[in-house]
Amino acid sequence: MLHIKPILSSLMRSKSAPILLLLQIILSVAIVANASFIINERLSLMQRESGYAEDQILTFSVYNFDPAIDNIKQNEVDQLILRALPNVIDASYSNMLPLSGSGWMDRWVDSPNEDTAKSTPGFAFYLGNEHLLNVMGAKLIAGRNFSADEINTNLGDSGMLALVSQPLAKAFWGDESPLGKTMYQGDQTVTVVGVVDKLQGAWIDHENFEYSVIQNIDFGGSSSNKTYMVRALPEHIPALEEAIRKALNAENPNRVLDNFQTLTELKSLTYSNHRLMATVLSIMVVLLLLITALGLTGMVMFNIQRRTKQIGTRRALGANKRDIIQYFMVENYLICIVGGVIGGMLALVLGQQLMSLYSLPMVPMIYPIISVIGLLIVTTLAVIVPAAKAANISPAMATRSV
Amino acid sequence: MSTEFELTVFTSTVLLLSAINTEVLQPIKLRKASMLSMKNISKVFKTDLVETHALRDFNLEVQEGEFVAVTGPSGSGKTTFLNIAGLLEGFTSGEFSLDGVNVSNLSDNNSAKVRNEKIGFIFQGFNLIPDLNLAENVEVPLRYRGMKASERKRRVESALEQVGLGARMKHLPTQLSGGQQQRVAIARALAGEPRFLLADEPTGNLDSLMARQVMELLENINQQGTTIIMVTHDPELARRAQRNIQIVDGQVCDFSMYQQAATGTR
Repeated sequence: MLHIKPILSSLMRSKSAPILLLLQIILSVAIVANASFIINERLSLMQRESGYAEDQILTFSVYNFDPAIDNIKQNEVDQLILRALPNVIDASYSNMLPLSGSGWMDRWVDSPNEDTAKSTPGFAFYLGNEHLLNVMGAKLIAGRNFSADEINTNLGDSGMLALVSQPLAKAFWGDESPLGKTMYQGDQTVTVVGVVDKLQGAWIDHENFEYSVIQNIDFGGSSSNKTYMVRALPEHIPALEEAIRKALNAENPNRVLDNFQTLTELKSLTYSNHRLMATVLSIMVVLLLLITALGLTGMVMFNIQRRTKQIGTRRALGANKRDIIQYFMVENYLICIVGGVIGGMLALVLGQQLMSLYSLPMVPMIYPIISVIGLLIVTTLAVIVPAAKAANISPAMATRSV
Repeated sequence: MSTEFELTVFTSTVLLLSAINTEVLQPIKLRKASMLSMKNISKVFKTDLVETHALRDFNLEVQEGEFVAVTGPSGSGKTTFLNIAGLLEGFTSGEFSLDGVNVSNLSDNNSAKVRNEKIGFIFQGFNLIPDLNLAENVEVPLRYRGMKASERKRRVESALEQVGLGARMKHLPTQLSGGQQQRVAIARALAGEPRFLLADEPTGNLDSLMARQVMELLENINQQGTTIIMVTHDPELARRAQRNIQIVDGQVCDFSMYQQAATGTR
């Protein structure tokens, strides 16, 4: 028997300490539920599959300071040198680096008539040659890649082709195939020739993060500063930076090569704020649970001291040790459950406020429920030891003058 | 009950029968079953420096239906005797039977069960739980017995009626006088329908009027057949019991029987 009724009666008649504990539990559940939700959101973002061969891609930047340099020619030569390096699988120029937090964005319309044209969602706008897809490790699931003779060097060139990410294709064309569709980019027409399974953009928090396009423009010749991606097996990556520096400097020493990092490192850096937030909130959750546990333990220990004679009397009247442990467990479970239910409701209200103020999604019901379950576990751990100590109080305490 | 003790009682009975009139047929009562039997009980408290013998070679037989008063100076071992008799603490050596059952080596759980089912406790300080009302207080031992709610309710009402507090079941202990609180404690002890009551200075915290009322209540309970062992400092109260035991230095030093039945006084 759990003896809930007399325990409740007893709690109702000496309310002060239980009410303080109840308030602590209500606030803990409300905060823990929301913090857990935010942590999980951040972890989910960090755990998304990028679709890129992250650990096989080494990225770097080239800064040319020689005014006499022929950028188009230099770009072509550099890429040939990179692809010819030992252990390099492929190499390509790219106007932007995936997952870097920095890049280009654009949108197309489906008609030259501005009044009737429907616009695509905004997408990350990669420019590269026929090697880029292979360097990224992205998977073509429909259509074809560009061929070498289809690569342009300027944004204004005719014969624009594009590969689109599957999420973008689904968002704009639905179940219809995007292959062969002609879209309009300013005065230019762009024909979709392929669909890529996953092709994430540069901005990890952007709602259109999965919407991307690669266009057949090797734009490296248009600027003196360029970014390149080189693909090799992970075991060959460490030696690659030195090999690249040596080879490109041999070709033209009047430039700076910098920012060598793998896509894994780049991604880690970009997600560092999320990681920090998840870590800080996790520490906060642990501290809150610890403080709650200490509060519970403190109250149980105080109650044991206050009720020593009462416990002895209960033992004298026939309570066994398990009854005494059960008494304290049930008493604290009752506070915890009442606090949990109120705290859970408060968590949802708090979640709604956060949703409206900071555009966060609504806290799902499961988070308050998990928080209460977590709190029940904490309650068990916090109460069981002092309760067991109480159970060891001798029944002879009933006859002592304390 | 041991054969030796039975024989002694029986011999005394025969002698008494030959000497006094037939109205004193109390020996038949004395042959009732043994309620409490302590043989050579000793209790030693040990510290690193000293050994204290709280009880030594303590022998006592209490028969069913008796009202026994236990007196003795402070520190004589009365409380230790009461604690051992009530299975509130263990003892160092000896044999102890309650209601014919050897309880010398009971586990903690079984001790709790015996306390709950066979013994009713009345404490000097009443030991009511302040956060529970009278009915809930009386109900405490019944809950530990796992009794059904309807039966608990019946017993609680009956016990509180018996002590004259049936109308105040929802009151808290703090709303009652000391005498009333002790009556609630007696109701709590009675509700479990115990085989015997152990009372530890039941009137120690009461004024003389209240003390008399409580004592009369205990006498009524005893007349209904419940065995009572009462530890007291008060010689006047002790004299009202059927039998008086004195404990000095942890031993029974005086074992006298009041032939109250013969004289008609209780």
